[in-house]
Amino acid sequence: MRTTRTRLTIAATVAAFGLLLSGCSAGGGSGNTDPTNVDPDGEITPREISWLLSRPADGGVITAMEQIADEYAADHPGFALNLITTPDRPSYIQKYETLAAANKLPELFDTDATPFAQKLAKQGKMMDADALLKDLGVYDDYRPAALNYQRFDDGSLYMVPFEFQLEFFWYNKALFEQAGVEIPKTLDDIPAMCTKLRDAGITPIALDGQDQWPLERYMAYYPFRTAGPDYVQQLKKGDAKLSDATGEQAVQWLSDLGSAGCFQDGFSSTGYSDAQASFTSGKAAVYNIGTWELNSLATDALDPSVRDDIDYFTLPVTADSVTAENEYVSPSGIGMAVNTKTYDPLVRDFLSFALKRYPEVYAATGALSPTTNVETTIPANATPLYQRAVDQANDVGEQTAMPWDTQLDPTSNTRLQQELTLLLQGEVDPDEFITTMDGVIAENGPKAFK
Amino acid sequence: MLPQRSRLSVLVFLLPPLALYGIAVLLPIFQSLFLSFFDWDGISPMLFVGLDNYVRMFTGDTVFWIAFRNTLGYVVICLVLQLGGALIVASLLTLLRRGREVVKTLYILPAVISTVAIAFLFQRIYSLDPEGLINQVLEFVGLGNLQQAWLSDVSTVLVAVSVPEGWRFTGLYMLIIYAALLAVPTELEEAAKLDGASWWQTFWRIRFPYIRPVWITTTIIATTNALRGFDIPYLLTNGGPGQSSELLTTYMYKTAFTSTNYGYASAISVFVVVECLAAVGLIFLLLRRKADA
Repeated sequence: MRTTRTRLTIAATVAAFGLLLSGCSAGGGSGNTDPTNVDPDGEITPREISWLLSRPADGGVITAMEQIADEYAADHPGFALNLITTPDRPSYIQKYETLAAANKLPELFDTDATPFAQKLAKQGKMMDADALLKDLGVYDDYRPAALNYQRFDDGSLYMVPFEFQLEFFWYNKALFEQAGVEIPKTLDDIPAMCTKLRDAGITPIALDGQDQWPLERYMAYYPFRTAGPDYVQQLKKGDAKLSDATGEQAVQWLSDLGSAGCFQDGFSSTGYSDAQASFTSGKAAVYNIGTWELNSLATDALDPSVRDDIDYFTLPVTADSVTAENEYVSPSGIGMAVNTKTYDPLVRDFLSFALKRYPEVYAATGALSPTTNVETTIPANATPLYQRAVDQANDVGEQTAMPWDTQLDPTSNTRLQQELTLLLQGEVDPDEFITTMDGVIAENGPKAFK
Repeated sequence: MLPQRSRLSVLVFLLPPLALYGIAVLLPIFQSLFLSFFDWDGISPMLFVGLDNYVRMFTGDTVFWIAFRNTLGYVVICLVLQLGGALIVASLLTLLRRGREVVKTLYILPAVISTVAIAFLFQRIYSLDPEGLINQVLEFVGLGNLQQAWLSDVSTVLVAVSVPEGWRFTGLYMLIIYAALLAVPTELEEAAKLDGASWWQTFWRIRFPYIRPVWITTTIIATTNALRGFDIPYLLTNGGPGQSSELLTTYMYKTAFTSTNYGYASAISVFVVVECLAAVGLIFLLLRRKADA
């Protein structure tokens, strides 16, 4: 009885692997096998198709796609688009990778340009998006930056973007004035800005440390300015090291942010909404977030007491910056991949209809389209900042700062996120941080990108 | 000796659960063991690597040992709260003349609340900004200088993630121990009291020996539960900051589902199996030996 119970408890932890083992032999079967065969022969037979995605359930993408699917279904009785969303990214990745291992991915699925996705592409499990978009005649409509964000290192394209975002440093003018600080001209001005704000009793920067990617953005900033976007490409494969001059400067800057108390106390356990509330309630002076929050930051949804004080600046440069002021993080979000095995005339026809219709429907929700052929509708309750932020999208430079969490191999990425918190909290010094991370990347990076 | 018909019916009733146990428990354990000798990411061909995963685990992986140390700390804190707390509450409950049912129900309530709700609850309790319950109380009693972000400090986080798990099941174990305490013959205790035994002597010489078999079972259940603890630490801190609250289970989960290194994760899971069996063996040995002494 006792050992049975023990084993049952243990079984819970290992059952997942058992499922995986039985799953890996399943699947297969017939279907399309050529990722470049974007226009297969045959009849369009309407059926239900599924899209496994990681986007907010009530967000613009899902709302727009539901409307488009309904329009398509009206002309194609029997068609339905089943949207299965898991907005929490780590949970989504687990679901998607487990399904991939079991060869049970649905017709459409979301993925970033990760090493795992690249393996799927190499195995011919994802349709060539370059060929698909060109064949559908929509390729040239896309913003090059939106497509580039989805590409693998070799330039190949297997994911279709559905968004375009710009990441800004939102700030509170009144709090800046109160502390006597100016907008930082260079990244090196930020630690001093934080010290002054702290001295005035103001939280300098509100950070959602719990989700870890927001802090990881700060890791990307300094090297993007001093060495350009190629640095992380080399670093992740072990061809560059954090112990190089570029890396050392970046780590030192992060350490300076920590010692200047740039982020709120206890930032590592602060969640997304608490961090945002800290800024929108006028407690924190700066908040680094993308245009997906325009509805909260540039409409009358914003607290009237701070509404007129909110403004934004873009990623500051460095003294010897190799990237321009109008180049910063401008992601096109997680991309949508098309499963090769289930690709048929129906999927093609639906995608042809949906991708042509999507920009107009999506832009009407007040969001930035990944294409240039539509104008974003500014909501009636928007503040003047909304229009300015939308217009800024037309002024974005060619090079984009890639978030490191989509670049590094997953093991190095997990460790980097953990070590960054320790570095910023002053638990490890820059040298220890560099030694640890160079070791972890050397062990995991080269084999992930071979 | 059972008659033929009875033996057959015993077999009919015993075999299906045994088969289910084999499929649901033993098979996955052996599959894990098998998988632990491979390097496999779920989509590429499996590569046989022999004992490499185990060699790496024992000699080259510092995070594994940090997680192991944290797991032991987590188990100790959970056991102290669950067993110690349960024994104290159950003993006090026997002294209560009225309202026992209400107290029992209140204590067992956390065990039926969903884990996710508990994690959210404690996230708020520990929070510094906005100020959570603990920090508010500290401020109220004039100890405002002790306010901190309990889940962000590397020196407090392990205790902070262990407490909810300990708190949650104290009521359940209290109920088991309380039932055992009720079975202690009152005449023995009364006789001891007449002979001049103190409260402590009565407890240690009469009550505790009586409940020892139940105590052993409860300790084993609580230990194995704590060793497989995963959900609350995962939801509260995801192992952080750094690896300060990383447990073997959370590390195994990340290795499998974030790093897609199923072979290495299986090696960790085999270690968890061995660790659980070793813990049960040790408890059995220690408490049995004491009983015989």
